[in-house]
Amino acid sequence: MIQSQTHLNVADNSGARELMCIRIIGTSNRRYAHIGDVIIAVIKEAVPNSPLERSEVIRAVIVRTSKELKRDNGMIIRYDDNAAVVIDQEGNPKGTRIFGAIARELRQLNFTKIVSLAPEVL
Amino acid sequence: MLAASLRSRSLHLSSSLLNHSWKPVLSGSSHSFSVESNGGRSLLDLNEIEKVLTDVKADDVKVIPAQKHAEWADYMVIATGRSTWHVKNIAQALIYKAKQKQKGARRMTLPSVEGQEGGKWIVIDSGKVIVHALDEKARAYYNLESLWTSDVSKEEPVQDLDKAYIKIRPKRNNSKRPANRDA
Repeated sequence: MIQSQTHLNVADNSGARELMCIRIIGTSNRRYAHIGDVIIAVIKEAVPNSPLERSEVIRAVIVRTSKELKRDNGMIIRYDDNAAVVIDQEGNPKGTRIFGAIARELRQLNFTKIVSLAPEVL
Repeated sequence: MLAASLRSRSLHLSSSLLNHSWKPVLSGSSHSFSVESNGGRSLLDLNEIEKVLTDVKADDVKVIPAQKHAEWADYMVIATGRSTWHVKNIAQALIYKAKQKQKGARRMTLPSVEGQEGGKWIVIDSGKVIVHALDEKARAYYNLESLWTSDVSKEEPVQDLDKAYIKIRPKRNNSKRPANRDA
């Protein structure tokens, strides 16, 4: 359940460290974003000397949420943190490597690039 | 009558959607890939993909068995295109091949394609074989080979975990009886 003003960790090596969601892409007045949704976010904290800077507005895909993700077979996945991967307008990830486990649902939602970079797919 | 018209309309919609991009429906469970259930064959197999890639003159084609890196796919195929147009054409050729293969079938299933607008990195996901078509810059930037060929899955120390779950019965040190009476 990501809404605007939610802070998220960054799960890639793009150079950002912390994001804050400012808008969810989709229908108007959408309340919450879940795994696989694209959000507009602002960079709250960045690694020094990296291409991305603080207070830059970017797009990101949510890859982990503390809110549990339910699957049809009864499996429930809940992560410890909320994390996102920075992407550009075309959907290419900004970073080249992704950290941490990633849910299988992203592949169905046409984020195969992110899934293929991920070290572990749940 | 209304319902019938609605249904025909939805059918039409779904067919147009199918043309655009079909997702290999991986039902949420971890061990049922519907690509296999689809007549027992994958959308495109490895030989066909390699043939198509040589036909469209894709540079530097590499096939990496990705079983140990990612259990959701068997092979990763990486190909380089000389320009964004070339990369887009590689993707188009693979889609065309998938269409040709299923000609006459009542229901065509096409591989899902990602990144077709940009043309820098296009992923064609045909179930068990994933084809990545990149331009030269993107290929150098993402360096996918090193990701998939290096020794992955550094095993985490499992011994600590094993210990962690052992239930330890607490010693009764609050009992009134002295522990060793003989002493």
